[in-house]
Amino acid sequence: MTTVPKRRPAPRAGWWARTPKAPYLFILPYLLIFLTFWAWPIISSFLMSFKDSRLGATAPFGLANWSRLVQDEFFRTALRNTLVIMIIQVPLMLSLATVLAVALNSKLLRAAGWFRFAFFAPLVVGTVAYSAVFRLLFNTDFGMVNRALTGIGLPPVDWLNQSGPAMTVLVLAMTWRWTGYNAIILLAGLQGISEDVYEAASIDGATPTQQFWKITLPLLRPSLLFCLVLSVIGTLQLFTEPALITNSGPGNATMTLGTYLYQQGFRSFNFGYASAIAYTVAAIAAIFSVVQLRLFGRDE
Amino acid sequence: MKKLALLTALALASAASAQSLSGTVTVWSWDAAAKALQSTIPSFNKKYPNVKVNVVDLGNQNVYDRGLAGCAAGGADMPDVYSIENNEAEVFWARFPDCFVDLNTLGADKVAKNFPAFKWTELMAGNKRYAMPWDSGPVVIFYRRDLYQQAGVNPTAIKTWDDFIAAGKKVNAKFDGKVKMGIVGNGQDDEWFRMLANQNSCFYFDNAGTSVTVNKPGCVDALNTVKKLYDAQVVATGDWGGQITSFKSGKSASAMFGAWYEGTIRTNAPDQKGKWGVYPMPASKPGGVRAANLGGSALALPASSKNKAAAYAFMENALATTGGQVAMLKSQGLVPSLLSATKDPYVKVAQPYWGNQKVWQTILDTLGDVPQARGTQYFQDARQVMIVVQADFLKGKYKTAKEALDDAAKKISSATGLPVAK
Repeated sequence: MTTVPKRRPAPRAGWWARTPKAPYLFILPYLLIFLTFWAWPIISSFLMSFKDSRLGATAPFGLANWSRLVQDEFFRTALRNTLVIMIIQVPLMLSLATVLAVALNSKLLRAAGWFRFAFFAPLVVGTVAYSAVFRLLFNTDFGMVNRALTGIGLPPVDWLNQSGPAMTVLVLAMTWRWTGYNAIILLAGLQGISEDVYEAASIDGATPTQQFWKITLPLLRPSLLFCLVLSVIGTLQLFTEPALITNSGPGNATMTLGTYLYQQGFRSFNFGYASAIAYTVAAIAAIFSVVQLRLFGRDE
Repeated sequence: MKKLALLTALALASAASAQSLSGTVTVWSWDAAAKALQSTIPSFNKKYPNVKVNVVDLGNQNVYDRGLAGCAAGGADMPDVYSIENNEAEVFWARFPDCFVDLNTLGADKVAKNFPAFKWTELMAGNKRYAMPWDSGPVVIFYRRDLYQQAGVNPTAIKTWDDFIAAGKKVNAKFDGKVKMGIVGNGQDDEWFRMLANQNSCFYFDNAGTSVTVNKPGCVDALNTVKKLYDAQVVATGDWGGQITSFKSGKSASAMFGAWYEGTIRTNAPDQKGKWGVYPMPASKPGGVRAANLGGSALALPASSKNKAAAYAFMENALATTGGQVAMLKSQGLVPSLLSATKDPYVKVAQPYWGNQKVWQTILDTLGDVPQARGTQYFQDARQVMIVVQADFLKGKYKTAKEALDDAAKKISSATGLPVAK
């Protein structure tokens, strides 16, 4: 019987020595950029929301920005406008997108690729250009829309100078721009649904309408949820359209959280207050996302 | 500070010999104002042939936005000469006291007395002179002689706002309501309220900039007048572009604005030459003040400029010499605030576009009656509140003008932290 000489265990290396360095070195540049341009501004703007960024203002530091936010009627107007757009525009757009996606997925459709591109195309157009075009289309005196209205004997509408019509223009513009984008996402979802399911349903005698409600929609739910969450967050950040098409007006009729934030930050140069608004918008977006995932995302 | 003193000394030394100034001076401005500055370049280059001036027309809002962003970034991407509206100027000095050069260090204190004192109030902070006064905006009514005549309205008989409304009813009757006495910005701007309030010695804030005064009687009267004009349907509402469209197409019998609007009318409707005239704004009551000011700008010199001496020389030639100011008056109708320029012979010249009326005389005669008003650093906050309150009041959301302005005062106070004046 031979005894295997026990080898003395090597001294346990420290955590640092055991850790491979190379991967960390490779991601170091990214980490530094992340810390400088993402993490730090996020922390910095939070700290700023407790500061008075307007020299000479009489309001004390501390919670002044936050207490102003609670009482601020303009903030409430901006929040209300944003929610109104969300409640009207998002469902309208998603229903249209679903119908469009089903149509684009249909085997009866010829030149499907061309149509897919056509509906996606609005997204390729620069936001400034498309906003300018909408301003022109809805111009009271020279706009094509009013020309068309008067052409069929209807009275012209002062689109951009009245609150209701201005809101309508915004909703139309956003729907035009984003419906195709959502339809393409939903189309991808539709193509993931197996043909077998429909075949089985047909054999059982389900009508196309029944198939849509009982098969397509339920199986499309993950894609719809994805579109919904993205659209809600997008609406909460809405800036370009109200800034460029209606200029938040008339009055504050189409002012959104995004344009109010901009106005406080870059017109009044009140960074402290703008930071408080930004954090509130982010919090609202987070709450909405959680609620939607809870409500519509069961069993996923 | 030492560095600045050294730079200043250098600048002064080099200013001594004009020939030695060279390089490029970049100027940021907007619309007619940019064209006006352009018109002073020939006289500047006669004195300083080696300096190339580059006037960039960015548009009004862009100049403001990019200036604030540039100051926030410590003076990055700023021009050598920066245009700034008096009303909006104080936000710059308050937030970024180091972004602009104190012009006294370049010799502005020597020309200070050549401008009326009120033009300096918004351009100074403590002893520092941050910008040089440029134009002012004495308010007048521009009117279409032919349309008034057809409706049987005599402009010299319009002395109060009630007279103006009565005249508007005649115009309505004559043209079936298709021609209006004016277009009031509503929902986009509150300029008519500001002009009428200023006429009544009232404004958003007191002249010390320490309290909110927008609900004082002069302002209440102003808002009431806007409502009376609107309810009598002698004015329509429209934004800046809408107003221009309206007078171009002959749907406006008159327009009220700062005198700088002269250039806007003249250049937008050259075909209406000879048809226009000017008369002082009506008073709120018989024998009352018939003057107000709307707008007016200044030029500042960003501290980051690499060519301060040449930049200051350009400002001085354009603003502090009669030749420069009169050149801008001729080309774009910018009303000089330099005292010697207001006495220039050109002011007394009959203007063919205006039916050979000596309009500059009429306009400048009101300058002495303009009540003082101050934008403060909170001008934009207050204006945003008033635009909404005015639109709501015209819509009938408030019972009285006093109630509307009490609400406005409360909102302005909460936005600015300044107390409402007792």
